[in-house]
Amino acid sequence: MALTATEKAATAGVARSIGTGRRPKVPRSKGARELLRALPFLTPSLVGVLLFLVIPVVFVLVLSFMTWSGAGPFKWAGLQNWTNIFLFDNAAHSLGVTAYYVLLNIPLQTVLALGLAVMLNRKRRGMAFFRVLYLAPYLSTPVAMGLIWSWVFDPRQGAADRFLALFGIHGPAWLSSSLWAMPVVAGVNIWQFLGFNMLFFYAGLQAIPSSLYEAAQLDGASKWRQFWRISLPLLNSTMLFVLITDVIGSFQVFDTLYVLTGGTGGPGDSTQVLSLQIYNVGFQGTRYGEAAALSVLLFGVILLFSVGQFLFFKNRTTYEFS
Amino acid sequence: MSTIAASPRLGAQPAARGGRANKVLQFSKLTVFYLVLLGVGVVFMVPYIFAVFGSLKPESSIFTTPAWVPPSNPAWSNYPNAFLNFSQVQTQFGRYMLNTAIVTVALTVGQVLFSMLAAYAFARLTFPGRDGIFWLYLCTLMVPNIVTIVPLYTEMHYLHLVNTYWAVFLPYALGTPYTIFLMRQFFRNIPQDVIDAAKIDGCGDVSVLRRVVIPLSRPVIITAGLIAFVFGWNNFLWPLVVLNSQSHYLLTNGLANFSTGPGSGEYLNLLLVGAVITLVPMLVLFIVFNRYIVRSIQLTSGK
Repeated sequence: MALTATEKAATAGVARSIGTGRRPKVPRSKGARELLRALPFLTPSLVGVLLFLVIPVVFVLVLSFMTWSGAGPFKWAGLQNWTNIFLFDNAAHSLGVTAYYVLLNIPLQTVLALGLAVMLNRKRRGMAFFRVLYLAPYLSTPVAMGLIWSWVFDPRQGAADRFLALFGIHGPAWLSSSLWAMPVVAGVNIWQFLGFNMLFFYAGLQAIPSSLYEAAQLDGASKWRQFWRISLPLLNSTMLFVLITDVIGSFQVFDTLYVLTGGTGGPGDSTQVLSLQIYNVGFQGTRYGEAAALSVLLFGVILLFSVGQFLFFKNRTTYEFS
Repeated sequence: MSTIAASPRLGAQPAARGGRANKVLQFSKLTVFYLVLLGVGVVFMVPYIFAVFGSLKPESSIFTTPAWVPPSNPAWSNYPNAFLNFSQVQTQFGRYMLNTAIVTVALTVGQVLFSMLAAYAFARLTFPGRDGIFWLYLCTLMVPNIVTIVPLYTEMHYLHLVNTYWAVFLPYALGTPYTIFLMRQFFRNIPQDVIDAAKIDGCGDVSVLRRVVIPLSRPVIITAGLIAFVFGWNNFLWPLVVLNSQSHYLLTNGLANFSTGPGSGEYLNLLLVGAVITLVPMLVLFIVFNRYIVRSIQLTSGK
């Protein structure tokens, strides 16, 4: 980035005033002087990013080839953690459960969010009110919401069972059923983040010029056709963003799942997703090397999916207008 | 729907021919439209209402009365019971709330302050390696939180910080790449003339930041503060990992421990009190800062 003339003058002026001021020894070179000026601003975040982000990422990779029990020395383990997580911890199953959760979560979440956004994208009374109302769960503490929902889906005559009983339906055991536990978790998650995703689609729809719809209307295109031929193609980049962030988020699901199912991965191992397994293997089982290997596995899967989605949408046309 | 609604605008004739049948059809369509919106709204509101009702019921009627029936005789004593140490169960939601407040405030103040400093350097100063360092920060945005939990715990173990407040907020209190990125975008848009004027008046970097940049950047600072506060308040996994004594627990840990720990399933009414007091600050923030929250979400998608 090129400096403007005034900026240069200002920089030189400040440098000169430091030079003639109290500090007699100022480095000669321009780069060193600039660095000295920026360091007080940069240091805290640099320490934070290095210590709590960069080093951990490198370290998790190293740790996945070592054993550590939470105290004492690290021992080199070679590929043992990696074989253990597949042979003994059944990481392949956890990966499958994680994928199942993502599959339960993403398509329904995306379709509902888009549908709500289309409904609210009208010039009618009260639309702003409903947008706010639907967004309310977004900030709500997932752990607290999970608890409330676990009470609603309690097999001991929780609200869900009582509600179904009004129609003469006998509800399943919900969270203590290995068939229903995961759909309930996905449902709670959809409930919590639907409004959030809706807002992205809403913003995307608002950005589409109304002249396009007017032109389509003159040509006699139905509302349905306008949605498929105008709205959806023009929401391509929004769709990419929503899908990538949702998939990344779903792969990391923890809080809601932990509270709804008690954090054991049960019933059976039907809700043992990778993130929960990292917690259970590492912090409950104190096998940190294996937990690190599971973390690297999860990171790899997330990266793969993000890149895949990006490429898929990149190959389709994106429309820009301003 | 609006194919019908829009066509009269093209010419007066079709409207005259459409007549009453058209109007009735339009009205009923509108009614259905609002009923659907309202129905969805009820689904979003129901758990909150259930929780408030449940938190005011005696333990005996938590499952014997439907959740949608208000308490016939509100048990207000549930609230003090859950806040203070209730003898039958270890609920100390007062303590948890204090812990949460301490950690969240420290996290928020640190994150906003240090992100702001870094953002100023990236937006307004020139120094060797600036773009490289910024690129490194952006790269770390790709790292999911869960991936660094294990190594972070190891670090905290060797820093002797396990089971302290420090361990909970320190990783997020020195400035986060995302907030730095948001603020940098904002700071870059401040006109250079304004900053030059301040410099001519003898302001150094610190006073430029304090007297010019901060007053002009209130929206982004509030947004950053909200992001940090909500993150700190709702954070669960990291404190669960790094705190092991109950006296240090945050609200989220207290709630989860109470519901999955020994004797779980009992005193669900007190647990719901805990859920309600955890949710109230978030709902208040949501209502007060609604515009900023919507803005911050839209900033995320780059719109």
